[in-house]
Amino acid sequence: MANLSTDKPINIAIIAMGGQGGGVLSKWILDLADSQGYIAQYTSVPGVAQRTGATIYYIELFPAHLAEQAGKKPILALTPVPGDVDIVIASEMIEAGRALIRGFVSRHTNFIASNHRDYAISEKQEMGDGRQSVDEIQRLAEETAGEFICFDMDAAARSVGSVISSVLFGALAGSAALPFKRADFEATIAATNKAVQSNLKGFQLGFDAARQKQVAKADLDDTTEPRQKHADAVSKLLIRMENDFPPHAHYFIREGLKKLVDFQGIGYADLYLDRLTRVYAADKLSGGESKKWQLTNETARYLALAMAYDDIVRIADLKTRSDRFDRFRSEVKADAGQIVDVSEFMHPRLEEIAEILPARLGKFALSSPAIRKVSGFLFSKGRRVSTTKLGGFLLLHSIGRMSWLRKHSLRFSRETQRIESWLIAIDTAAQEDYSLAVEMAGLQRLIKGYGDTHARGLSNYSRIMDVCASAKETGNAAEIIARLKAAALKDEEGVTFAGELNALNFNSL
Amino acid sequence: MAERSFAKEVETLNLGLGDEFKGEGILAVTKALLQSGVSYVGGYQGAPISHLMDVLADAEDILLGLGIHFEASASEAAAAAMLAASVNYPLRGAVTWKSTVGTNVASDALASVSSSGVMGGALIIVGEDYGEGSSIMQERSHAFAMKSQMWLLDPRPNLTSITDMVEKGFELSEASSTPVMLELRIRACHVHGSFKTKDNVRPSFKLRDAMENPVRDYDRVVLPPSNFVHEKEKVEQRWPAAIEFIRSHKLNEFFGGHVAQHGIIVQGGLYNTLMRALAILGLADHYGETDIPIYCLNVTYPLLSDEVAGFCIDKKSILIVEEGQPEYLEQAICTILRREDISTKVHGKDMLPMAGEYTGQVVCEGLRKFFTQHAPDLIKTTAVSTFSLPEDSQQVLIDTVPNRPSGFCTGCPERPIFTAMKLVQRQLGNIHVSCDIGCHLFSILPPFNIGNTTMGYGLGWSGASAFNTETSQRTISIMGDGGFWHNGLTSGVGNAVFNKNDNILVIVDNGYSAATGGQDILSSRAENSKKSTKNPISKAIAGLGIKWQRTVVTYDIGAMMRTLTEAMTTGEKGPKVIIAESECMLNRERREKPIRNKRIADGKRVVRSRFGVDSDTCTGDHACIRLSGCPSLTIKDNPDPLREDPVAYVNNDCVGCGVCGEVSHAAVLCPSFYRADLIYNPTLRDRLFSKFRNLVIRSLQRRVDKKHANYSFGDM
Repeated sequence: MANLSTDKPINIAIIAMGGQGGGVLSKWILDLADSQGYIAQYTSVPGVAQRTGATIYYIELFPAHLAEQAGKKPILALTPVPGDVDIVIASEMIEAGRALIRGFVSRHTNFIASNHRDYAISEKQEMGDGRQSVDEIQRLAEETAGEFICFDMDAAARSVGSVISSVLFGALAGSAALPFKRADFEATIAATNKAVQSNLKGFQLGFDAARQKQVAKADLDDTTEPRQKHADAVSKLLIRMENDFPPHAHYFIREGLKKLVDFQGIGYADLYLDRLTRVYAADKLSGGESKKWQLTNETARYLALAMAYDDIVRIADLKTRSDRFDRFRSEVKADAGQIVDVSEFMHPRLEEIAEILPARLGKFALSSPAIRKVSGFLFSKGRRVSTTKLGGFLLLHSIGRMSWLRKHSLRFSRETQRIESWLIAIDTAAQEDYSLAVEMAGLQRLIKGYGDTHARGLSNYSRIMDVCASAKETGNAAEIIARLKAAALKDEEGVTFAGELNALNFNSL
Repeated sequence: MAERSFAKEVETLNLGLGDEFKGEGILAVTKALLQSGVSYVGGYQGAPISHLMDVLADAEDILLGLGIHFEASASEAAAAAMLAASVNYPLRGAVTWKSTVGTNVASDALASVSSSGVMGGALIIVGEDYGEGSSIMQERSHAFAMKSQMWLLDPRPNLTSITDMVEKGFELSEASSTPVMLELRIRACHVHGSFKTKDNVRPSFKLRDAMENPVRDYDRVVLPPSNFVHEKEKVEQRWPAAIEFIRSHKLNEFFGGHVAQHGIIVQGGLYNTLMRALAILGLADHYGETDIPIYCLNVTYPLLSDEVAGFCIDKKSILIVEEGQPEYLEQAICTILRREDISTKVHGKDMLPMAGEYTGQVVCEGLRKFFTQHAPDLIKTTAVSTFSLPEDSQQVLIDTVPNRPSGFCTGCPERPIFTAMKLVQRQLGNIHVSCDIGCHLFSILPPFNIGNTTMGYGLGWSGASAFNTETSQRTISIMGDGGFWHNGLTSGVGNAVFNKNDNILVIVDNGYSAATGGQDILSSRAENSKKSTKNPISKAIAGLGIKWQRTVVTYDIGAMMRTLTEAMTTGEKGPKVIIAESECMLNRERREKPIRNKRIADGKRVVRSRFGVDSDTCTGDHACIRLSGCPSLTIKDNPDPLREDPVAYVNNDCVGCGVCGEVSHAAVLCPSFYRADLIYNPTLRDRLFSKFRNLVIRSLQRRVDKKHANYSFGDM
């Protein structure tokens, strides 16, 4: 019988997206191991996988002195085997999930993962919210791994102007999963002569966080911002809210009021409360109290959004505000005092102009071939408006001051009509089927965007509102509406939506 | 200039006798070529052997010093034909490409050189792109070796074995007058390890010697009657010579115990995987010690009947670990045993999967089956199982974790072409789109979902050539500049002109063979002292007889849409070509970013553009994402507590290509996009203008702020 040695390599798998630091991290680990007397083997699969796809870098480290004593060369593997990986490093939370699926993480694995999200295209492209929850990944990682170090390494890296590899490398050092000293890790970074200072800072953050076994959520500030006293002008609204509506609904109502005062003034916010009062009355009649006033709450939310629709006045106003100027500076990471020129990509069409005109004039403009021809010439191309230059700013600033036009505009009358019939439908539904009414209130979520996007949303909304009437008889109307709403948000070609309508036998409508 | 520079690594090619080379497998192969005294090297780039080509390109000075001619061949066929130099002369040559796709292209010339036979060693290094991360159809190069009778080497995946096999490969080639294929799996190509080097060898017989003293030998030309003689030679002379060489040089290896009832025959390239699986099962240690007899085939074609028979004769059963299908080795071994009347039970594809990559886990499972059936005592006590999650947890994760397919890079100039096509389809209805090979093939993935078939490199247009009939809906074919020069010029454009095609070709001209690592090609705009670049595609196709051609800058989506629509609807008959040009952003940024940073550091005025989305006008519909798919265009929580859907957001990777702004214009999307021009080292004029503007703007904003304060709800 051969005498089998128990010497074994340290196996490290790095799961990352191509071109996002896995290669750099691998190189550091390789250099480090080499400097510490280890035989290091590294493989990866570059190529098209590198173009933003998910990919695995695999490293095996073998103590050279053991091999020397044995007088033999170790045989190192080129792919990780489930259950045989000592250290797994995932550069993003979904990739951490992928590592778990592949079985790389087991009881003796040191698992280091950044819990930030880099959304996959399937999550980003949905018309609603396609994001996956990572709670299960977090739970299973904690359950499965021997040691699980997880925090937002991307934020840590950005906070010191470094890249995620440095924080991951620091976390690896902090995890003490490798038999090397901190100084050796740092020396490896220093020896590269590339962005050494920022990488060392990132390393430090990773090291400290790993040492403290911090779970990232702890360092998010959950404290709500201190609130100042509200202005006198809005106290009447707030008092009305507090007197007339249950506390469960206050959060959304307050946000709604804020939005509508900003959109059109106190009177318009009052109208919001008037409308909501009717829904709340229906809610009370239908036993809403036992359902935590779901109907009032949902309507409070979506009525505000419906009433504060996006027209060119609104856009122009928002684009020229001081807080918006502060925001774009911070978003593009402008240095203090740096000059930033901003141009907006606008594409106003005749429709957008006409809808802000007084209703009759607007209708005329839309139906007049002559005007359409002229406007086709004027508005056929997208326009770039520079809001940081005087011409552009003054143009948008003055359009933004035209909210007085709104009350008599074509769009306003259309929206009023739609909102009223929506509220009546909700009201009627509430008497028979509470959850259906709640679902109907939430249908406003479909109406968003501009141009074709808005038109498509509106048409899906109308379609489902039509279905509501006939769905009542089925007994599970709320479920049907929820399914249709989800389907309408799935793809813009309407394939899923049409399929769902078919499946539910509502296609003839 | 290629995506990666190997200027530093190239120095390792000068290492001498007894030095230690540390680095990537494919570079080690390059070093081994120099140690073998090659006279010429050619090839076509593609994963996993792109780096070999890039290194050679960067090592041109060293190659010249050794009298070696290196050629970045126009295609694998051109590279394979290069081996003709070894037919009449004692010149060693090596060619390389991605397999099996490259071998397909090369097989015409390979068949010819295999028939002629070679005098100088001819080595074909194929990067076997099989298994995880592969971008091509899953096939084996083995079949090519068998059909043309080339020997196939499959060395153990460590640098010593690989480099040794390069040198032995040349000797084997010369000893048997047969070209030799060296197969390297993708991970072996990229494995980082070390080996002891030797001095480089200058070929004693030079290319010039051959050119100045040409030798003609009619017997070596593939034409009757020589071709019939060649076939006889193959089986009567070259085969026995190869067998003799392989046996006497012990190219195949025996490991483990010598007396046991059950053994394993393994392809050399899978040896490390096998040993890891045995170690996990407790049957071997990490130095390769084991009681299980192992016959390691570093040469997988031809097989040595007597070695196989000798290994099997005292065994009750053997397991063949052979990746891919059909199971050529298993079939051949069964034939050998049957002929020798050896009754050893043969296992292989009955215990290991017929298809798919043989990872450690897969081999582990196969071994477990084998030993459980034949020697249960062996693993009962020691075996640990490989790990897997409970089934329900696994399912939860599978439902949670989305696929992350490859996609266009941030700022990629190819993306807007497909945005335009998507928008044009909305007006003209769906269009049959024939794709090619290259980054542009990502168009078939979300969010574009454009493309029907892909038939091969440069075959985009010929892939739609059947659709040449009277219709109101033309087809669109796509071809990259790499594919165009590879063979699309003739098989696509020439074919369309000759057959009076009435459809459309879009040539994506980004200045490089981008998908394979950014190598220069004929139409590259880059300066290249060693190659002839700047030969425009437009001239080439005009020369072929294309009358309707347009050149459009890809980033101009409006122009792209208009041009596509015109091509789709024009009454003009005949082939239509749209050249969509813009430089590969990956290469452009690599070149320009350091220059820009230096200019900023030097105090020069620099304007850097990037894009952003206003979260308070974004309604979270993500139409922009569905029309762009840029990695830097992502989503984040909606800051408006009333809205449920996340808003679009441009992260800091944005390179300011402008596609998202163009998209919002062309698709009449929404007014949320803005372009920010950040000015570094502003001039006095910049500063004065900005100061004046800010004065006015801030004062107007203050008035609005004051009004808002009067209606404040007290939030910060």
